[in-house]
Amino acid sequence: MTILVKIFGDLRKKIEGSKISGSLPLNLHIESDEIETIADVLNKYAIEKEETSHLFVNGSYSGFNKKLKDGDRVGLFPKNMSLLYKWYFTRNEDG
Amino acid sequence: MSKRILRVNMTKLEAKFEDLPADFVALGGRALTSTIVAKEVDPLCHPLGANNKLVFAPGLVTGTKAPTSGRLSVGGKSPLTGGIKEANVGTNFAQKLGRMRIAAVVVEGMHKGDDYYLLKIKNDGTEFMKANKWSNKGLYDTYKELYKEFGNKVGICGVGIAAEISGAASGVCFNDPEGLPSRYAGRGGLGAVMASKGLKFIIVDETGAPGVEILNEEAFNMGVKKLWNALTTHDVTKPGGALNSFGTSVLVNIINEAGGLPQRNFSSGQDDRSEKVSGEVKADEIKKRGGVRPHFCSPGCVIQCSEVWTKPGGKDPMGVLEYESLWALGPNCGIYNLDDIGELNRACNDLGLDTIEAGGMMGVAMEGGLAEFGDGKKALKLIEEIKNKTPTGRILANGTAFTAQALGVTRVPVVKGQSLPAYDPRAIKGIGVTYATTPQGADHTAGYAIATEIMGVGGTADPKDPKKAELSRNLQVATAAIDATGYCLFIAFAILDIPEGLEGVVDTLNGVLGTSLTVDDVPGYGMQIINTEREFNKAAGFTDKHDRLPEFFLKEKLAPHNEVFNVTDEELDKVWGA
Repeated sequence: MTILVKIFGDLRKKIEGSKISGSLPLNLHIESDEIETIADVLNKYAIEKEETSHLFVNGSYSGFNKKLKDGDRVGLFPKNMSLLYKWYFTRNEDG
Repeated sequence: MSKRILRVNMTKLEAKFEDLPADFVALGGRALTSTIVAKEVDPLCHPLGANNKLVFAPGLVTGTKAPTSGRLSVGGKSPLTGGIKEANVGTNFAQKLGRMRIAAVVVEGMHKGDDYYLLKIKNDGTEFMKANKWSNKGLYDTYKELYKEFGNKVGICGVGIAAEISGAASGVCFNDPEGLPSRYAGRGGLGAVMASKGLKFIIVDETGAPGVEILNEEAFNMGVKKLWNALTTHDVTKPGGALNSFGTSVLVNIINEAGGLPQRNFSSGQDDRSEKVSGEVKADEIKKRGGVRPHFCSPGCVIQCSEVWTKPGGKDPMGVLEYESLWALGPNCGIYNLDDIGELNRACNDLGLDTIEAGGMMGVAMEGGLAEFGDGKKALKLIEEIKNKTPTGRILANGTAFTAQALGVTRVPVVKGQSLPAYDPRAIKGIGVTYATTPQGADHTAGYAIATEIMGVGGTADPKDPKKAELSRNLQVATAAIDATGYCLFIAFAILDIPEGLEGVVDTLNGVLGTSLTVDDVPGYGMQIINTEREFNKAAGFTDKHDRLPEFFLKEKLAPHNEVFNVTDEELDKVWGA
């Protein structure tokens, strides 16, 4: 399975050996058969749940248990970019 | 000294203080502007005629040490929507009025002839001066000259060239803490209302002001402490939080990722080039250039979401570059270059244009062929047409709907004539219900992100779920109440998570008013404001058929979700039970 993971802001510092270009998000193309959910993506980079705020899968506001499929686009935002979504929308969870 | 109203008659060039009527004592900000407009303005009057009035009102706690409370409401009949308008701004001008115990300034009548006037308001009197020498000039130079003439401690309200040509896209400009003309009661064309009366500037000098009267110091101080604690501990509003670190533009990447950031006149909801103009990039660039961030729009703000954007090398400070402005003049025009966007925002500030309306206008102008999408330099030239008062400029200065009609463009993102802000309602339905049903015309702040807990809505809501009437109603009602207090809407982020923060807000109101309001009184207070506004609009000719989004939102699917706005008319009518 191949997914695009877009990592924003301070969360980029968690990705070892990555090239951070200014303040642009980090685009990681991940190929893995071991990733099933967003939580698995976080585990892969040792990102704690508390370090995140908004999580998106293909533009849908998602929770940690949201299942991923081939070709998905995942957006991960750090805690200090928490703003609107927490109050407006419930997280889309599959688990 | 009790609270007072300053009544400014532009026909006679007279200004008189009156006592605030007893039944207005608990009204401030939007509650007071909308009440006075509804009571005193004929809903069928021409908005740019002698019978419209322009009302300025600081919030109930504005001018006190209550944190993040420097807001001012400006109201009147809107030349853009044809309905009632309240435009809201954060500026120390508001705090000065509050400390002078001026609950409202009501500008009425109309000066005959071509002269423009400046009104100076002091604690013990007023003075009119001719302002012709500042007509036809940009506001950046003008504000510098005004500060030179009146000293750097005054507050300045002014209107620009866009208002002088009666542009329905013109806003009312206020100073930021550096004296830059960058804080706007932008929406609805109220700048043109002020200019139509012959009034170009209001200068406020608070020397000798008694300060805001506080009837119950104990309740007030307790409230300040509770609210301050909430704001400084909450992740969104605390120092180092999202708003403080990145400003409102933190939303660029978030809303683009959500597929709801309108691109190229609302023809797509996502374009990754938007990442080049995100809040993170901007904050970084401001730091490199030697601009200012974080920064407050008015003293006493804990959140400090503002900033001062500059040209490269820290030159020519422009003022704040907000999310909505950045989007309107950026991605909505296919422009993904911060310097181009910054210069467009500067041009809007200089001419007295509402940045959201100007960006919406530019989007339809580009679709109509006046420039290519993405051509920031040509966009700037088009704005200069307004400065030069050319026929094209006069069309553009009237906003999105007027420009679209002139150019034969049919994708026109407006409700009640006012252009939509930076969230596409096909991706985020709840805000679409607010755009459609607020008495203000398309306005994100009218029902943004307010304490769902207060109202018992309980953070429901899948953004694609079309059942949003109750959510939108409750948000709109709570927002109207906040707009009356003088607190910034952004306190909502903290007080919805921290109940003591909300109690603190009510405590400070009780402190100022000597009342014993409770949290449960908030919705009724907000509903009263909305009812007043809706009655005015009804008398002006609005029906439930005006509480709709333009047809294309219902027909054209928006990428990447490939959704239309599928909230039914029946659901929209449920918002107010029409």
